[in-house]
Amino acid sequence: MHIKHLSLTNFRNYGRLELPLPAGAVVLQGNNAQGKTNLLEAVYYLATSRSPQAGSDQQLINWTAAESGEPIIVGRINAQVETQTGGRIIEMRLIRERNEGRHRPYSFRREAVVNRRTVRLMDLLGNVRVVLFLPQDIQLITGSPSGRRRYMDTVLCQMDKRYCRDLSHYNKALEQRNALLRQLAEGTGRRDTLPIFTDKVVELGSRLFVRRASFMYELGREAQRIHYEHLTSGNESIRLHYLPRLQENGLNRGGTVSQLTALSDFLYKNEMDAGVVGEYFQSIMQATLSADLARGITSTGPHRDDWMIEINGRDLSYFGSRGQQRSGILSLKLAEIDWVTTQTNDPPVLLLDEVAAELDGQRRALLLEYVKHAAQALLTATDSDQFPNDFMDRATLLTVANGRVR
Amino acid sequence: MATAVLPQPVQNLINELARLPGIGPKSAARLTFFLLRDGSNQALELADALRDLKERTRFCSVCFNITENDPCQICDDDERDQELLCVVEEPLDMLALERSRAYNGRYHILHGAISPVEGIGPEDLKVDELIHRVQNGSFRELILATNPTLEGESTALYLKRILAGNDIRITGLARGLSVGGDLEYTDEITLGRALDGRSDL
Ligand SMILES: Nc1ncnc2c1ncn2[C@@H]1O[C@H](COP(=O)(O)OP(=O)(O)O)[C@@H](O)[C@H]1O
Ligand SMILES: [Mg+2]
Ligand SMILES: [Zn+2]
Repeated sequence: MHIKHLSLTNFRNYGRLELPLPAGAVVLQGNNAQGKTNLLEAVYYLATSRSPQAGSDQQLINWTAAESGEPIIVGRINAQVETQTGGRIIEMRLIRERNEGRHRPYSFRREAVVNRRTVRLMDLLGNVRVVLFLPQDIQLITGSPSGRRRYMDTVLCQMDKRYCRDLSHYNKALEQRNALLRQLAEGTGRRDTLPIFTDKVVELGSRLFVRRASFMYELGREAQRIHYEHLTSGNESIRLHYLPRLQENGLNRGGTVSQLTALSDFLYKNEMDAGVVGEYFQSIMQATLSADLARGITSTGPHRDDWMIEINGRDLSYFGSRGQQRSGILSLKLAEIDWVTTQTNDPPVLLLDEVAAELDGQRRALLLEYVKHAAQALLTATDSDQFPNDFMDRATLLTVANGRVR
Repeated sequence: MATAVLPQPVQNLINELARLPGIGPKSAARLTFFLLRDGSNQALELADALRDLKERTRFCSVCFNITENDPCQICDDDERDQELLCVVEEPLDMLALERSRAYNGRYHILHGAISPVEGIGPEDLKVDELIHRVQNGSFRELILATNPTLEGESTALYLKRILAGNDIRITGLARGLSVGGDLEYTDEITLGRALDGRSDL
């Protein structure tokens, strides 16, 4: 798929942008702070309804517009998308609304539109699929588990509406169960309602577990192949391990490989049978019940999941060199492209923010190979000299300056 | 030196209005001055309406609907099916079902749904009253028509659990397609549920 036309209204430093885009590689060149990253962010936000940096929607609206006295400010990201199955126009609006008498004078409401029909936010997802590359992707390996969970969720939500709905319901059920546990710990609340919320957490959580397990299994197999064959010429072997929080005490990363894989294998084998997983999850919930009651919080479940990459039998986050970590994350992201492509038969749009400058040698060559074969790739760089000549010969070069693109 | 202050009646109304949901101090002041300046009897009519709201309505002691007379019209109507009981969250849900003209039984209004996050448990709802009604009535079917939200569904599951064992059929509303809608534009979740709940033609 590819984006034929992108238009932005009051988004970040773009007051108004009308940008026709060709298929293939598009290099967005410009000095710092001109709006290159903002442009990729807009596309990513439209595809995932999330910003790559966690933050409030308020920050996405153009400052000058937000400060004007206008009663209603609409920030708008609109794209004409060409897919294998036809074209569509999709739009995300951010509408400013007055908050009478609350501490914040305004709030923003999001509205999704597909082919001029207002739809639920969830129904916007998947209309354009993107794979995003950022210089800070390496934090997926070295950072906190919440970032790694967000990664699984963002990829899966673009592909699978049911997953997205289950995730949002799971979070609500979990919030209710935790509120009740807190009340019970304080001696208020009704104990006889706890099984209801436990059952909901188990039912929805089991579906998240099996979906994540099969996704991580397939992604890991692909990443392993890319890493071994294309990135390290048979020198390094990586493995991706999904670490479901489906046991009384968290798995420790130092555990043996068989301990690490036993649970995710169990989930993968029971992909078609969430009932089996549900029974198991329920038994773990019963085993942790007294601890949960004492602490006033749900200690097991997909909200505590994690994953890790193992390189030549060791944990990449502890034992990998910086270069090995870069290669590991690159293999993972390239695997993501292949996975999305096979799942949908329609290659995704690639968004690459200043990544060419970060990579060298074999890593860079392989990445550019993927870019060359992409249906569309938007790449930013402070200088197009960062790309080889034969690459630039086939790419479209655009210049970004102060919220304008030429 | 004396500083200018608002007369107490003006300040009182501003304070009272500002306590309402969705109204802040600014809107409260604007509404107050509107009523103050208004030449017609609008302020007094509003005052009467507010007084009537509290003095002339109450909850039906049987179903907890809002009513002028206790028991309410519906509970008092012998023509309606005495053995059919429909449980809803709010009075407006009941009105919606009435508008459908498809239901001819009794109602029970819970006045909310179980939601620990908002501090609402069964004891804050008309749940004990429902149990009492079911145990002492002669209902053959109980329709749990709570909203299809997490809280509504959880409330229905809870009621089903504590009412199981009474000799009564417990049902829920079918979830499905909207009439006049397009299959093509129906999301897959609704479509899936509609397929699960398909019926013989
Ligand atoms: N909500 C906003 N309204 C207006 N300008 C913004 C907003 N958010 C960020 N900016 C501006 O956008 C610029 C950064 O753009 P960015 O896309 O990150 O630049 P780069 O081209 O270096 O990637 C900064 O000048 C910043 O002040
Ligand atoms: Mg940038
Ligand atoms: Zn009544």
